[in-house]
Amino acid sequence: MSDGGARILDRGYRRYDGHRTGVAGSFRTLVVHSMQRALGLKRSAAQKLLPGLAVFIAYVPAIVFVGLTVLIQDTLLANQNLVPTYADYYSFISAAIVVFSAFVAPELLCTDRRTGMLGLYLASPLTRNSYLAAKATAVVALLALVTLGPPLLMLVAFTIIGQGPDGPGALARVLGEVVLGGVAVAVLPASLSLAASSTTTRKAAASAAVILVLLASTAVTETLVEEAGAPAELFCANLLGLPFELVRRIYGEPSPDVAVAGIQTGTLIAAYAGWTLLFAGFTWLRYRRLAVDR
Amino acid sequence: MGDGVSAPARTVAEGAGLTRRFGSTTALDGATFAIPSGVTGLLGANGAGKTTLLGLLLGLHRPDEGELRVLGLDPTRAGPEVRARIGYAPEHHRLPPDTRAHDLVRHIAEIHGLPHRDATNRASDALWAVGLGEERFRPVGSMSTGQRQRVKLAQAIAHDPALVLLDEPTDGLDPVQRDDMLALVRRIGSEFGIDVVVSSHLLEEVERICDSAVILREGRVVASGAISELTGQGRGVLVEVDDRPEEVAGRLLLRGFEVSVDGFRLTVHASPDHEPGAVHDAARDAVVDAGVGLRRLSDRTASLEDVFLEVGA
Repeated sequence: MSDGGARILDRGYRRYDGHRTGVAGSFRTLVVHSMQRALGLKRSAAQKLLPGLAVFIAYVPAIVFVGLTVLIQDTLLANQNLVPTYADYYSFISAAIVVFSAFVAPELLCTDRRTGMLGLYLASPLTRNSYLAAKATAVVALLALVTLGPPLLMLVAFTIIGQGPDGPGALARVLGEVVLGGVAVAVLPASLSLAASSTTTRKAAASAAVILVLLASTAVTETLVEEAGAPAELFCANLLGLPFELVRRIYGEPSPDVAVAGIQTGTLIAAYAGWTLLFAGFTWLRYRRLAVDR
Repeated sequence: MGDGVSAPARTVAEGAGLTRRFGSTTALDGATFAIPSGVTGLLGANGAGKTTLLGLLLGLHRPDEGELRVLGLDPTRAGPEVRARIGYAPEHHRLPPDTRAHDLVRHIAEIHGLPHRDATNRASDALWAVGLGEERFRPVGSMSTGQRQRVKLAQAIAHDPALVLLDEPTDGLDPVQRDDMLALVRRIGSEFGIDVVVSSHLLEEVERICDSAVILREGRVVASGAISELTGQGRGVLVEVDDRPEEVAGRLLLRGFEVSVDGFRLTVHASPDHEPGAVHDAARDAVVDAGVGLRRLSDRTASLEDVFLEVGA
């Protein structure tokens, strides 16, 4: 035989008659791959920076509060306001939520169109609908990483150190509230982010649009309600504040804003669902009519 | 085949009266065709309807009229099932630049339903098969156009499809790379046992590697069939004599054949009414009867380009 300089020139071609995972497998693969991409996994360090920073900002307050609870438990018991409630926690991480909302969907949708991957996906068992559903699942799951993870971490940590809810029933109730609250904060920004990303192949433009809409809706509605005496229901157009207020209703905590506190919970839920469906429907329509580059 | 008996060609896809409109534009206008197993060229000028037909084969468009079967299934009703068995390489060269070739090919194989471990192994095999074994862990963005074309080919075959659709696979390649790519496509169709449809506007390429062709013009199929049928067999013979070509031509005319004379060379046209081989016999007899020497007697063949021009595509 030849010496160590031998090279493989042709490995031939083998047919595959093994198991195939079907459409469900395609869907799952796209969700996982999208999440990995957005988090910068298997990518360069620079591409891990922004998602890493957002996740770090989201989890740091939770870690600090748990640490404080362990270290100065007596002081905290005397001053219960030192550690925020689960509902209040979101005000500490709103910046991380805005950044992540603005970053994730553009990374997943705009990139696929710009790099021609959308054409390859649609030539697979995926359809436009299942493609969009997989991307939406990935975006909500990624946002839940910052909206659900930290309160969940606090709940688990407080329970372990004996500062959590009393009894299994209370624990189950708080766990349900944490999950529902985390999902509520994730879904509306996710749908807005998907809608913005469906309009352009430029990630930066889509990200800027998401941030602009979230901040502008907050500034405009607060000015109109607080300064111009507009009806309090206009708060329903505050796309950043609306999910946070809904979370307070989930936990049964009063709103710090008296005017907002007077809005019926049903009105808030209807507004939340309406915005979410509007953005999701817009995204669906955009992709239904999108000419795929082949 | 080894026993010398050729099996009837299996039909990979067939359409009847396919019409597809986009607004006021009719992209396909009653196209009827059958794509047999092997390598088939889809020919036509820009706007002839090639991309629309590929989209129909993939089940991405619904025909306004007509019927289509791909791999025995109706792609408008069983799109995901059809696409799971098809590999597709698009015309464009844009692929995620920061993704390694192996990761991309594996991902597309998984998207087509292969479990992770199998997709990993087959991604390597596919990249070796297209000649990128040593380069498989390089980011796609650092690859040349020729290498990207190979990556596109690898992702199209990694999940072991029954049918591969290639859209302009030699676009952007230099002559050497083009020869390599054509050899590779031919190998996929023959050695790998995967049926291939190549969409191209380069006639010479299709003639070199394809077993059959479908020629489109303004949304209509103007010619289709085996390349050998389209380019030669049954079209007539070329006769070259050493003297009195007009006399030979006269004798052939008397036998009912259309003949054109160019110097000592005669082109004898056969019509579908003539029996197979009759034109050869007539040419032989005319030469013998005229008592002239025969320098050449061969099938009259045409290039695919001649066919293309003949049908006005």
